[in-house]
Parts: sequence; structure tokens; C-alpha cells
Amino acid sequence: MKALLLLGRWVILSVSILQVISCSSLPIINPAQQDAAINHKCGQPFFASPYRFVHKIEVALPGGKTGALLGITRVEPLARSVSSAITTVEGFLLFEARYDKALHVYRALPPFNAEHFAEQTMADIRLIFLSPEGQPSEFGVLKDGAAICRYGGDDGKIIDVIVRQDNTWEIRTYYRHSLLRKISASSVRDRVPGILALTGFEAVRYSLRFTLISAEPVEEGQDIQ
Amino acid sequence: MKATNRKCTYLLLFVTLLICFARPVWADSWAELQQESAKIKSIAAHFSQQKYLHILAKPLLSNGRFYFQAPDSVRWEYTSPLKSVLLMRKGNIKRYTMGADAFALDSGGTIESMRLVLQEISRWSKGEFTKSEYFSATLKEGKEPQIILTPKEKELATMISRIVITLAPEKKGFIQSLKIFENEHNYTIFEFTKVQTNANISERLFLEAE
Repeated sequence: MKALLLLGRWVILSVSILQVISCSSLPIINPAQQDAAINHKCGQPFFASPYRFVHKIEVALPGGKTGALLGITRVEPLARSVSSAITTVEGFLLFEARYDKALHVYRALPPFNAEHFAEQTMADIRLIFLSPEGQPSEFGVLKDGAAICRYGGDDGKIIDVIVRQDNTWEIRTYYRHSLLRKISASSVRDRVPGILALTGFEAVRYSLRFTLISAEPVEEGQDIQ
Repeated sequence: MKATNRKCTYLLLFVTLLICFARPVWADSWAELQQESAKIKSIAAHFSQQKYLHILAKPLLSNGRFYFQAPDSVRWEYTSPLKSVLLMRKGNIKRYTMGADAFALDSGGTIESMRLVLQEISRWSKGEFTKSEYFSATLKEGKEPQIILTPKEKELATMISRIVITLAPEKKGFIQSLKIFENEHNYTIFEFTKVQTNANISERLFLEAE
């Protein structure tokens, strides 16, 4: 359990550091012939109806140390809300929160009660499961033929949604052209990724790997007690 | 914060290992409980786990097996949905979780925390629930006797509000279920079945995940 707390601290440290040192140029978007097809493809990673996901979350630490947690996520796309719980493998609840226009933290045991942890975690979950707000500012195809939709840009924050022909996908976020986050989805089946890998490119690089345990549709508001 | 983290660590381990040590007990009194516990040298059982969360109406279901060998060897194994194994033997505790094709060891410096918890375990293994540093125990007699553990400190109560152990009414000396309340909305129910006591259990089970 101490290892778990250390893992948590390390993740919190890495996500709390705002200084961006990683630089990466934005991929070049080539015009596509069928705009509607591109837009449709970019929506593929995101569900339109409520879903519940259970993942094994693996945290990779410097020095090769690893740890595992369970992540339970409920997504309500229409309400643009997400609920998240993080437990030990044995089911002990460490963190529970909901975001629906505002952040509600129901439980956050140390070190998951650290400043910004809930905010950052829920932001990451929204990034993974909810489509970016608004219309893409640009869309087209990459050199390898993958569909890409780019959101934002006015305030320096950019979200790229990239969906390949084999239905694997990536979401990347940038601030002033510097890569902040990369989420890669693989082993996609019926639109649900078997594996999600999240990498943070900040002062301390970190990675989280989400392995799907279950994904099931739920009724709107059904799960919320 | 450091002290809180330590307490949290111990508490998590306490709960973890309490579940592992869900020993057969039955009692009209603490003395009888201790007497019954002393007869148990090994346990092999199946368990089902229902995890209720504030954000979910339907519980998350897990299944597994646990094994205990006196004085302090434990194997707490989840078979679904996520395969994982917690092993404890002679003061050493390891956790493995299933990776892509094999069990992977959860690594980290956990030894000192676990050593302290083992002191608790040695008490539980003797049925000495009343001597815990962290929880006060109440024995509720009746058709289905219950042991209710409540945290001694307010700080701990924010993490675990209470633990209710229900003893099997018809089978003297067995735990029927265990309910751990984090709060009124979040709790876990463990139900034990196919319980075998004092059977021979291979030592290998406490050494290897596979």
C-alpha cells in the first residue's frame, strides 16, 4: 500500500507541474475530399449515450517499478458529465468524483487529495471520453491517411483527434505547439479500446495504461444514486 | 500529511488483511470466539465481492479464493474480473496482477508498513478482535451473530466508518459475510462459500502467484 501511495504521489507530482518543457510540432493537416466522412470518423472514439467502463490502471514509475489500480468511469455524453472512482485491486475506494459543469469530489484519500489531483484527473477523463466541445477549426487527413480534426487554437490550447483506418485512435493536446498529453487507443473492438495509454509530456514524463475489464451501456441517470 | 498517509497505509492494509483473515468464528462471547479460532489451522474458501459506489447503482462484482495457513500465511486471489494475487508468508507480503500474459509483481517499498500490520494479524488469528489498535469491537449476539468494528480515531472514521462481520448461524465457527463501509454510499460485501477448514494446503500457494 505504501507503494500505492508513492505511485499516487508521483502521478500527482507529474500532473501538477505546469511548466512545459516538451516541444513537438503540430502535425500537418492535408485537405480531404469528403469532409463529412472525416467528421464522422473523428467522432468514432466518443460514445453518444451513457456508458460505464472498468479498467485496470497501470502506473509506470522511473526505475521500472509498477503498480495497479482499478478505475471505474461513468460517462454521460449528453449532459457532458463524467464520474470516476479509483480503487485498489481489492476494491478499497481511494478516489471518487464527478464532473458536470462543476467538479464534485466525494472522496479523496491521501495522496489523492493533493491539490489539483482531482481537477487534473477529471480533465484527463473528460479528454478521453467526451468529444471536444464545438466544431473543429481544421480537419483533413495526415500523411499516413489517418483522419484528423483539430479543435481550439485561439487561446493557444489545441486538441487533435486522430482516427486511423484500422480504427485505432489518438488524442493529443498542445499548448502553444508543445505537446502536453497523448492518449493512444488500441485493440479497438466495437469502438471500445481494449487498451488506452496516456502519456504526459511535462516536466516529469509519466504514463498510465488502461486495460479494459468491462464496458457496458447504462441508462441516462441510471447509475447515479 | 505524512502521518495521514501512514495511517491510511496501515488502514488499507488492515482492511486488506482483515478480509484475508476472515476466519471461521462463532461465539456467544469473546472467550468462546477465541476458543473457536484457536482450533483453526487452515482455511480454503471461495468468495464473491460486491462493490457498491456512490456513483453507481449496480455493484461491481468480483470473485476469488482465499487460503490461510496458521500462523500467518495467506493467499488472497481474485479470479475475475481482474486476476490478482496477494501473498503473505512469514512477514513478507507481495501482490501480483495479471499482465498481458503473466503475473507482474507490484513493486515498491512496502515491508515496514506490512510488518506493523502483521502484529494486528497475529491478534486476529487468535480471535483477539478487541485488542486492535485501530478498531473497537462489539459482539452482537442473536440468530446471526455479528462483530462490529468501529474506528477508534475520527481520522480513520473518514476512511472506514465500520466493518460488520456476520457469523454463520447454522455452522458453528464460520464467517458468512463481511461488510466494509467506507461510508453509507460506498461499501463492499464479501460472501464466503465452499469453506474448508484444517485441510492440507500446499505451501507453494503462499509462495507463487501462478
